[in-house]
Amino acid sequence: MAGPLEQFEIKPLAELSVGGIDVSFTNSALWMVLAAVLVTCFMTLSMRRGALVPGRWQGAAEVMYEFVANMLKDNVGSAGRKYFPFIFTLFMFVMFGNLLGMIPHSFTFTSHIAVNFALALVIFIGVTVIGFMRHGTHYFRMFFPEGAPIATAIILVPIEIISYFSRPFSLAIRLFANMTVGHIMLKVIGGFVGLIGILGVLPFALLTGITVLEFGIAALQAYVFTILTCIYLHDAIHMH
Amino acid sequence: MPQFDIATFSEQIFWLFVIFGVLYVLMSRIALPKVGEVLERRQKNIEDNLGKARALKDETDAAIAKYEAALAEARDAAQADIREASEKAAAEQAKKTEAMVKKLSKKTSDAEKAIADAKTNAMTGVAEAASEIAREATDKLIGVKVQAKTADKAVSAIVGE
Repeated sequence: MAGPLEQFEIKPLAELSVGGIDVSFTNSALWMVLAAVLVTCFMTLSMRRGALVPGRWQGAAEVMYEFVANMLKDNVGSAGRKYFPFIFTLFMFVMFGNLLGMIPHSFTFTSHIAVNFALALVIFIGVTVIGFMRHGTHYFRMFFPEGAPIATAIILVPIEIISYFSRPFSLAIRLFANMTVGHIMLKVIGGFVGLIGILGVLPFALLTGITVLEFGIAALQAYVFTILTCIYLHDAIHMH
Repeated sequence: MPQFDIATFSEQIFWLFVIFGVLYVLMSRIALPKVGEVLERRQKNIEDNLGKARALKDETDAAIAKYEAALAEARDAAQADIREASEKAAAEQAKKTEAMVKKLSKKTSDAEKAIADAKTNAMTGVAEAASEIAREATDKLIGVKVQAKTADKAVSAIVGE
């Protein structure tokens, strides 16, 4: 019987190396490709007819579009429109990654800290660059809340700096922890089903419930990841 | 935990950037513009239809207003005609009545005059006859010849009472 951590193992499918750096095509990359292909198929094939009155698939694609568009509009405002393709890609990529991970024997690339942290770091650097481009050195005001007495700066500024720089960590670790813990739980409880004979129906019932919950978490964590990105973007554009 | 195996980081991050980048290009260049275009076209279609409906409603309102104006005009004209006709009739009636009243009153006054004349004539005749009779009677009864003047005076004194 496989251990609960085995499902997270990175297995190279094709060894590759560029400039001495290992860039092997792995199971993680395979599932990323799958997620990207599914997202692309979903968004293009369902919109192929571009009907005035949408069918089921087109309706679903439009719902996703409008869901992300409204999220961006509500959190960032009209200034965020040009970042919509990125936010949309981010949401769909993370959500499909999470959901594909729910297929038994699949691989959840969002359960890996390296992937999540790389995404979070891109967002963090991007947002910071946008902030400085829009506000110049005034962006440093981010680290001191408006209207606070100047004497409190000695405490508030370090706190604000720490909170600002902890953004990519919280973003990455939240998603990693949720995905990892969920999958370990499913694996462990699943292991009991076969071990305890007829009593196995109890963990099986529990497993069914948790599976439903995990589907919810898969969608929810993609949403949380995206909405936090929107909020950071809002801070960069409007400052507090 | 495989997540903390640093040796796998480079390959994961490399493929993440490649695949995410490709997906971003596919979404931003192909998929999202198409969805946006469809949504925009639908919005435009709805607005066009609403605009058309509004224009038709305006047209209908204008037609109704025109019809009502025409109706009111016709009603006014009809009422003016009726008023004119009834005024004309009333004036004619009044004229006829006046002429008739005049004619009747003339006839009445003529008749009254004839009656008064006849009465005066008759009264004069009666007085003359009475004084004649009185003179004759006194002459025959007592043989006194009364002068005509005295008799007339006596008669008129009695008639005048």
